[in-house]
Amino acid sequence: MTERSIRTIDSQVMTGRAGRLRLTSKNPYVPRSAIIREITRETDSVSTFVMSFIDELENNSFSYQPGQFMMVSVAHQGEAPISISSSSLQSDFFSLTIRNSGRLTKAMHSLKPGNVIGLRGPYGTAFPLEEMQGRNLLIVGGGIGMAPLRSVVHTCCRQPDHFGKVSVLYGSQNPGELCFQSEMQSWKEAGVDCRLIVDAADNGWQHQVGLVTDLLTDEFRPQKKKDLALVCGPGIMIRFVIQRLEELGYSPENIFTTLERHMKCGFGLCGHCHCREKLVCVDGPVFRRSQLGVLEDL
Amino acid sequence: MRRKQWILHKDHLLPFLRKLRKSRSLVAPVRNSYGDTMYTEMNDLDNESIELAEQPQNSLKSFFFPQREKLCHYSVDEAVGDSAQAYRFYPSLPESRAVVYFGVRSCDMFAVMYCDTIFLGGRERDVYYDARRRNALFITLACNHPFENCFCNAARTGPYLEMGYDLQFTDLGDRYFVEVDKARGREVVQQWPQFFVPAGDDDRQAHYQAALESRGLFRRQVHVDLAVQLLDQGEEPQALLAELSARCQDCGGCAFICPTCTCFNIVDQPLSDDRGERVRTWDACTFDGFTRMAGNHNSVQIISQRVTKRFYHKLRDDVLRHGRSSCVGCGRCVGMCFGGVDIVRFIDGLCAADDKRSEKREDGHD
Ligand SMILES: Cc1cc2nc3c(=O)[nH]c(=O)nc-3n(C[C@H](O)[C@H](O)[C@H](O)COP(=O)(O)OP(=O)(O)OC[C@H]3O[C@@H](n4cnc5c(N)ncnc54)[C@H](O)[C@@H]3O)c2cc1C
Ligand code: SF4
Ligand code: FES
Repeated sequence: MTERSIRTIDSQVMTGRAGRLRLTSKNPYVPRSAIIREITRETDSVSTFVMSFIDELENNSFSYQPGQFMMVSVAHQGEAPISISSSSLQSDFFSLTIRNSGRLTKAMHSLKPGNVIGLRGPYGTAFPLEEMQGRNLLIVGGGIGMAPLRSVVHTCCRQPDHFGKVSVLYGSQNPGELCFQSEMQSWKEAGVDCRLIVDAADNGWQHQVGLVTDLLTDEFRPQKKKDLALVCGPGIMIRFVIQRLEELGYSPENIFTTLERHMKCGFGLCGHCHCREKLVCVDGPVFRRSQLGVLEDL
Repeated sequence: MRRKQWILHKDHLLPFLRKLRKSRSLVAPVRNSYGDTMYTEMNDLDNESIELAEQPQNSLKSFFFPQREKLCHYSVDEAVGDSAQAYRFYPSLPESRAVVYFGVRSCDMFAVMYCDTIFLGGRERDVYYDARRRNALFITLACNHPFENCFCNAARTGPYLEMGYDLQFTDLGDRYFVEVDKARGREVVQQWPQFFVPAGDDDRQAHYQAALESRGLFRRQVHVDLAVQLLDQGEEPQALLAELSARCQDCGGCAFICPTCTCFNIVDQPLSDDRGERVRTWDACTFDGFTRMAGNHNSVQIISQRVTKRFYHKLRDDVLRHGRSSCVGCGRCVGMCFGGVDIVRFIDGLCAADDKRSEKREDGHD
């Protein structure tokens, strides 16, 4: 569409009541109401909220890809970016996995099923689903960073024959902070190789203790040149994991990682998410390692 | 061929503006009672006087992108009986008024074009900016006398514009040389032909002469291109940035006064338990909280790098993203910052360090 034709539509839209509605829906700042269907408590500070839009039409037209995020509004608390944590193949609802870490997320944790929040999006780049077809995937997550990766895992579980071998390496500070424990059995049943690690164990812990990089042993060298690694977690973890993946033989073309930045708009205007010349909200949050250069300022 | 150059006699300026004001609001540089010259919406052409000899202290930024703007109001209704809880947003778009901006300086016009790229050229159109911008008419004034801190010649945004305006006026003493660029400018000339006479060869000669003289009058030599080149080559003047950051008092003045600093914040302002407003306000990347994230993790070392983002954004990131630096050389931050943490100080420091290095290299050869 040319700029001129957009302007003509705009001016038509300005007149008339039906038109005003169109303009509303074209206003990228206006959230749509969504209802909390279900809440799963993952850890003391993390819960997964199953959501759908109140407007049926919104639900029908809503689609997203793993790795993309939503701008979440909670009454009086402003907005925060939150990744979508459900499979993109699911159509009637989607989920957000949220850690209680500040004002908005705290308010979110006080909500109950039936409560309403505002959502804009989806925004940002996604993990490359098409490129992932038929390839072995090594998924490395740390802490709440497992949320967008869960969206990938669920997509893989639903279409096991679309992907090669899928391995998940997931670390957190202690066993109490590992999310998605109740569903990991079903990931394994779908053929996903799951390995867990914590910085500090408690009595019942049966898996490894250490940093997530300790799981990246020679066993996880790429089997084929085209194997892909997907990473999400705190900046410092990302740095060390990528370093290790490169040692293991993953090329910078085949490593995907997410970056986290403060965000206000989500679509490239407010300037909060600058990372060198990139805007993380539109050029990311998912980046190919080869796009990133030095990783010092993660 | 459509004629593009006209003459408007100075006696005709006010009558011409009066005509324009019939169907539009008028914004022009006006000297207020404090003695400040500001771009101001004029309500009374008889008693307010247009001041074209001073640089307006503000830019046009706030006319399209106000310092505080309500985006929506929202309501929160608790569930009662059968009706579920509701949380709704009602956008409040500004009306799209027709406004003529008169006496706009070249750098300020250039800044509007930059803001257009940001607010209208990206993935989403900013409908608030668009509403204010859509019916704007720009009559710019070429600069014959650059001001003390100006370096638009080095930033390549002036002193005369080659495009982007609707009409560009050049002061030739008793008359204005008028150039037409955009369709809206042509329409104005067509609508009020009584004010415009075709420019002759003498006028063209005088215009050429004025443009030439103006270029020779800049008092500052600011090496914008060299600074851009050094940053592009990966130069990181740590000591200079640390020194400037230490002097920064975190007031945000440079970003607020800057015609191309467009970063903003969005916050909710509750009005009662069940309703409130979502507003956006200007933000500055020099502020402490600008990049802070969960867990108080900050990707910017605030003490030593507070001002890095602003300079790098203008001189490196925008070159990579939009093909040119976004400092338009208006010099406002030079006048604004009492700590001397302005972009000229940064460019000078960066280039001086480079000079020293090349001197050293040459000494080494000897
Ligand atoms: C692309 C992306 C995806 C994300 N996905 C998820 C996800 O799936 N799940 C999840 O739990 N989190 C996710 N996050 C992180 C989440 O958005 C942040 O933790 C967010 O800050 C939470 O908002 P809050 O209001 O609860 O926290 P805040 O109240 O904003 O507090 C968070 C921290 O930031 C500081 N802070 C915030 N704003 C300011 C300011 N203006 N000035 C000064 N300090 C400030 C606070 O001091 C505090 O330390 C994601 C972030 C990004 C960028
Ligand atoms: S950085 Fe300074 S000189 Fe450059 S456009 Fe902004 S205010 Fe003007
Ligand atoms: S979040 Fe606003 S520009 Fe990226």
